[in-house]
Parts: sequence; structure tokens; C-alpha cells
Amino acid sequence: MRRYIDFYLATMRISILEQIQYSVANYFYMIGMITEPVIYLVVWTTIARQQGGTTGGYTVGAFAAYYIIWTLVRNMNIVFTPFGWEWRIREGQLSMMLMRPIHPIHSDVAFFAGWKFVVILLWLPLAAILSWIFKPTFDIRWMEVIVFSLAIWGAYLIRTMLLSLLGMITFWTTRVSAIFELYFGLELILSGRLVPMTLMPVWIQNLSNYLPFKWTFFFPIEALVGNLTDVQLWSGFGMQLLWIATGIFLLNIIWNFAIKQYSAVGG
Amino acid sequence: MNPIKLALTYLRIGVLNEMQYRINFFIQLLQSFISVATGLIGLSLVFGQVKTLAGWSRPELLAVMGVHLLMGGVIRSIIQPNMERLMDDVRNGTLDFALTKPADAQILVSVREFRFWQLVDVIVGIVVISIAFIQLNGTLGILQIFGFLSALIMGGIMLYSVWLMVTSISFWVIRVQEISNLFEGLYAAGRWPVGIYPSWLRTGLTFLVPVAFAVTIPAEALTNRLTGTSLLIALGMTLLFVVLSRGLWRLGLSNYSGASS
Amino acid sequence: MTPTISVSNLSKHYKVPERDGGMKAAVISLFNRKYRTVKAVDDVSFNIEAGEVVGFLGPNGAGKTTTLKVLSGLLHPTSGMVNVLGYEPTKRSHDYLRQVALVMGNRNQLSWDLPAIDSFELQRAIYSIPLNEFKKTRDDFIDLLELKDLVNKPIRNLSLGERMKMEIVGALLHRPKVLFLDEPTIGLDVTMQRRIRAFIKEYNQRWGATVLLTSHYMADVEALCKRVIVIHHGHTLFDGELNQLVTQFSSFKTLGITLPDPEVDLSQYGEVLTRDGARVTLRVPKAKTSQVTANLLSDLQVDDLTVEDTPIDDVIDSVFTSTKEAK
Repeated sequence: MRRYIDFYLATMRISILEQIQYSVANYFYMIGMITEPVIYLVVWTTIARQQGGTTGGYTVGAFAAYYIIWTLVRNMNIVFTPFGWEWRIREGQLSMMLMRPIHPIHSDVAFFAGWKFVVILLWLPLAAILSWIFKPTFDIRWMEVIVFSLAIWGAYLIRTMLLSLLGMITFWTTRVSAIFELYFGLELILSGRLVPMTLMPVWIQNLSNYLPFKWTFFFPIEALVGNLTDVQLWSGFGMQLLWIATGIFLLNIIWNFAIKQYSAVGG
Repeated sequence: MNPIKLALTYLRIGVLNEMQYRINFFIQLLQSFISVATGLIGLSLVFGQVKTLAGWSRPELLAVMGVHLLMGGVIRSIIQPNMERLMDDVRNGTLDFALTKPADAQILVSVREFRFWQLVDVIVGIVVISIAFIQLNGTLGILQIFGFLSALIMGGIMLYSVWLMVTSISFWVIRVQEISNLFEGLYAAGRWPVGIYPSWLRTGLTFLVPVAFAVTIPAEALTNRLTGTSLLIALGMTLLFVVLSRGLWRLGLSNYSGASS
Repeated sequence: MTPTISVSNLSKHYKVPERDGGMKAAVISLFNRKYRTVKAVDDVSFNIEAGEVVGFLGPNGAGKTTTLKVLSGLLHPTSGMVNVLGYEPTKRSHDYLRQVALVMGNRNQLSWDLPAIDSFELQRAIYSIPLNEFKKTRDDFIDLLELKDLVNKPIRNLSLGERMKMEIVGALLHRPKVLFLDEPTIGLDVTMQRRIRAFIKEYNQRWGATVLLTSHYMADVEALCKRVIVIHHGHTLFDGELNQLVTQFSSFKTLGITLPDPEVDLSQYGEVLTRDGARVTLRVPKAKTSQVTANLLSDLQVDDLTVEDTPIDDVIDSVFTSTKEAK
């Protein structure tokens, strides 16, 4: 609908204008975040070198490529956290959002989407520096670039759905940090954040095929740096769309319950 | 007031405060458990491919993980909360109170926060170290214990000093909040022995943000790698950092003028 | 004509867990939760016509904010019927939300780092305000509140009062027909309070909006509301015109006397309220006012004498204390 496009554009504009002012802070955050994949990269290239240059099907250069693209995908994965929902309810911000004729989720999606544009721009020089240091090997086709560009946004939306669903829990209880920690631990293992999924034991790989995590992390990275066929690329994107649809469906249901709870108790 | 007494008083208050939130114990335990679990998964992935990593065996790397956890608990219970609060105080101009109390301001700002339940990580870290030690069939000689403890203490002091130095920079450059992020990221690198990192990173992790001294060196003490030289260097570095951080702190404090809104 | 706002037998009850202190009770409560019902709003009814400005008065916890939240759709009533502009607020239909506004003093909606003018643009998109209408409304508001030089400055560079002005403009850009204001002037200095009040009054008069406001400041209510609803312990104690509240509940007048001799004891003439050097205030039953005044003037040397109605604040206080005692 036209008014939603209008709203998204207006929100993204605000978000971009704001985030440009915070470029330095954004950079610091990104640099801090880069330490994680660098550590993984160093460990695995050490192993690869010990094994004669390749381990688990990845060369040193392939690992470098994986973990460098990792940094962009990780940035795309950053969305409004469940802790943010807790804050929102506690501070009364949610009430104000509920008074607007638009679902709060749209606000979140639009705001972070705008932010992502700034992040992508800021990321490019960092990627260049990392490439200069770690010498990745890239073997990229145009189709991979296209699907990758779509897949990073798919990942963003899936993770938005997942974390919003988690955030709904805060409508009923505030003692939730334990649940979230558990969730993030699982996600770490099953998404391809720790290592490429192909290095995981087979049973974990199979498990991750039925869960959304791999589609937020491993799939987008592999789309660009791996050797997926066109069929695999587009069916992977299809899986992302499927998970987004599932997320929206579940979110709608749970949201209704959450709002009933909120309007019974007042937050 | 006697600085030790002051520190203990704050400690007591901190503990009493946090004891009210017993549920935090379970939350922290869960977090530590998840940390250990993911660490173990990481280790088994690595050792699914190789027998040693950069010369370190599996139980040895387990020991490194334990030290990392232990030191992480120390950082998150005492060092980080105090330094972050100090940053806030400098930014908001609320540091004045600290200057009017009849105690050394540095002690005051370094001990007033104490996240008691983070000590769970220290306990868990010790457990992991013990398990690793048993797997190593290690000998627990006096020399080793001395080496380990002194390396640990010196490493802790060094980390504290670096934190203090960076926080002191906020006297001049107000926005240093993001530094915490950077520190956490760099500390995460200490999960593995710094020897595996490329030399430029290794230098940074040794002399800039002395993660090497906080984690790798104590782990070396446990795994019979520690040389007297390393220990002496550690001592020298500790003294250097202490002097530098104290100097920078006092410089910043004397330049301090309350920031107003 | 149907009233804009109609509330019939509205009740809002909360179940609050009740627990004694101590370890034993805590363990027991894990298995056997005891609840106590808090009646935040109890059988409240009123109708408000279009264009009215009505004030809700009452101490903290009286149920004012709860009522406001029910009317805006944020809370479900436990029982009773609520109708605003022909909608059931709890359904929170988009059409309904586009016609109302809830403004809570101290809540920030505008982007901190950007000029207000950018945030206003976002408001336009949120409420789908047609562009020409939006521009006219926005420019009108900017003129009314004299914000021309400030709209292009980042919000963080504005003073608290200027920020509040921007927030109010932002909240009303979609020209809501019904305005719910919760403590709109809280934390502001006197000049700013007056400006905000003037703006609300102007908004009501120019565009005929219905305004409901809760406030601690009697000055807000006095300046804006002809009608007040007094709420206490979830019940309506009074619903009528403000000056009637004074006459109904206050049977006293306040005398202010300035004497050349500060040592004189005036307690025989009436209840001494305050004594500030040479100035004394006395509380005197209305019926006796002329008698006491005459006595004072004849008995003493008086430099100045004033006769005033009891300040509304005191009236309200006495309303609440009398109901408390009556219970």
C-alpha cells in the first residue's frame, strides 16, 4: 500500500540522517565486532596450514573470504533485541508506539533498514583493509552477487522476526535474560557464525536445515563465497522467504496475545 | 581512610546488595554454562581436524579456556563495572563527589561497583582449569603455583591499568563509551594462546591490551611453558602500566572540570 | 447529538499478588498465589460533548491516568462501555488512532539528533496527512508557538521548554479531534506552562477539538477547563463546573490582614492559617465573613485587608480529606 511505502521511506530517511551523525560510534562498534571473526579466522587458518593448506574443504583463502563476508552478514543481523522490548515496555515507549496507526514492527524494520544502508557503506573500507591483511580468495559469479544482495536482506528480515518473537516474551515476564542467552548460544552453533556449517558434524548440519538460523548467516555467506549452483542459490533464497513468511505468521498470532496481556495489565 | 578498609567496605555493600537478587546466581550460572559449552564445542571442532594447535594440546587449550573464563569473571565483576561508571561520571560531570571524599580518588572509583554474581565465572574457570590439569597429569609444584598465581595477579593488574588509562582519556575526549566494546572484543582474542595470531596482532595483544599477560602467560605456568624471563617481563610491564595509568589518571583529574549540560 | 466521549459504568480492576515478607511466605507464594483486587476505576460514568475541555483532578493513584489510558485504547476495561468518536477504543482501529492523540508530559517522540522539522515529516508519513494540509497545519503551529528559528535546530540543542513545544506540535500535526493530555506541563517553568496552555486553548477554539487533561497543577485546570471531574479511589466525586466545585465544597473564605503590630493574636477571630511577619491569613466561615471583617476593622489598626475565596488547591485537599474522614 502506498502509505506503507511512504512511511518506510520517511523512517529510513530519519534513520540514515541520524546514523550518519554517529559514524564514529558505528565504526568503533564494527571494529569491536570484527575481533570475533578474526579470532575464528586465525584459528582455522592455523589449522588449515597445519593440514597442508586445506581443512574441511576450505583453503586458507576460502576461510578468509568466509569470515570477511561474515562481518557484513553479522552487521545485517543486528536488529532490535528482546532486551529492547523489555526497555520499551518499562519506559512507556510502547504505549506511545501503540497510539500510532501503524504496527510497531514496521517502525523497527524501517528504522533498522535505514541504518543498514549506512552500515553497508561504512563496511566497505573495513572490508578492503581486512582483505589486504588476510588475502581472501574470491571466485564470484554475477548470479552469486545478485542472490547475495537479496539474501542479506532476507537474513535481516528473518532475524527481525525471530528476535521480535523472543521479545514478545517480555510482555509476560521480565526475567528473561536466561532464555535469551540460551537462544543466542544455540544460534551461535546452528547458524554458521562459529564455523562454516560444512565443518560441523553431519547431524548438526541436518538439524540446521530445519531451523531458521542457517538462513540468517551461513546461506548468505555461502551464496557469495561458496560454489552453489543457480538452483541452490535461488532455492536457498526461497527458503529465506519461507522462513520470513512463517515468522510473520507466528508474530501476528503471538502479537495478538501479547497486546491482550498488555492492555489487561498496562505494562 | 585506609584504602584496604575502604575497598572491603564497598565489597561488603556490593555483596549485600546483590545477594537480594539470588536469581542472578542462576542466570549467571546458565551464562557460564553456555560459555563453557560453546567453548567445548569449538574445541572439539578444532580437534576433530588436528591433534595439536600451534603446539598446544587439547587439555592445554582447555586450561587456556579456564584461565580466560576466570580472568573474564574478574574483569566483569570489578574492573569493567567501575571503569564504565567512571566514564559515565566524567561524561555527566558527576565526578565531583569523588574528589571531595577524604580518600584517594583512584581507589574510590575503582572499587565502588562490584558485580558479585560474575564471580561465578571465576569458580567455573577454576573448575575447568582443574579438569584440564587432571587431564594433563600435571605436577602441582610450589614453583608452578607461584608462577600461575603471580602471572594471574600481574595480568589482572595490567588489564586494570589499561582500562584506567583508556577511561582517563575520557577526561579529554568525552566519547569513549565504545571503548568497552573494543575491549571486550580484544579480550575475546585471549580465548586462544596469543602465539597463533599474526605477529602484528600478537604485539598488540601483548603490549597494548595485555591480554597475553592476563591469559596466555598464566596458562603457560600451568602447562610448564613458563620461563623466568616471561615472568620478569610481566613484572616489568606491570610496574610500567601501573605507573603510566596512575600518571594519566592524576593528569586527567587535575584537568577535570565538571561538564555542564 | 451523540456525545463525543461516552463512558458508562467503567471499571478497571487489577489483580495484584499479595505476599507477606520473609522467606517462608516467599516459598509458600510459589505454590499458592494470593491475589488482592485493586479497583483503579470503579463504576465511573460521564459524557463529554465535542469541543469541551475537561479536567481530571485527583491525587496520585486516584484513577485519572487509568481512565485516560482506557479512553485511548491502551487498557481494556474490566467492565463497562467506552465510546469515543463512535469507536471502541480498545479495538485500536487505525481510523480511530488517526483521530486521537495521547500526550504524556516527559515522553519524547521526536528524534533527538535531528531538527524537529525532520521529525514532523515522519509524523506526516505515520498519519498519512495530505501534503497541503500538513504544511498548513505545521506552519500555523510554528507561528502560534513562535518556533520559526528553532525548527531547524537538532532537538538536543533546545531547552526543555522548547523541546516540549516541539513535542506538542509533533503530537498534534494530524489534527486529532480528541486530545488526551496527561500532565502536559509537568517539569516546565511558569512561562513555558503558560505558553503551552495558551496553545492548547487555541487548538481547542480554532479546531473545536475535545480535550481531556489530567494535571497536578491547578493552574492548568483553572486556565483551560470549565468542567472538572474529580476522581478519588476510582470513583467520581464531582462532575461539574469548576466554580461550582469551589462553592459546593468550600464553605470558607480566606482573609488576608496586614498589621502594623506583628505581635497581635488573631486566633479569636478565626483559624490562623499563616503568619508571615506582619501579614496573617485567617480562615473564616463564609457566613461570618462580614461580621469578622467588621470586628477586625473596629478592634485593631489594620493596614490592609483582603477577602478571597479559598484557593482551589485547598478546596481539593479538603475534599479528599473530608472523604477520607467520612470513610
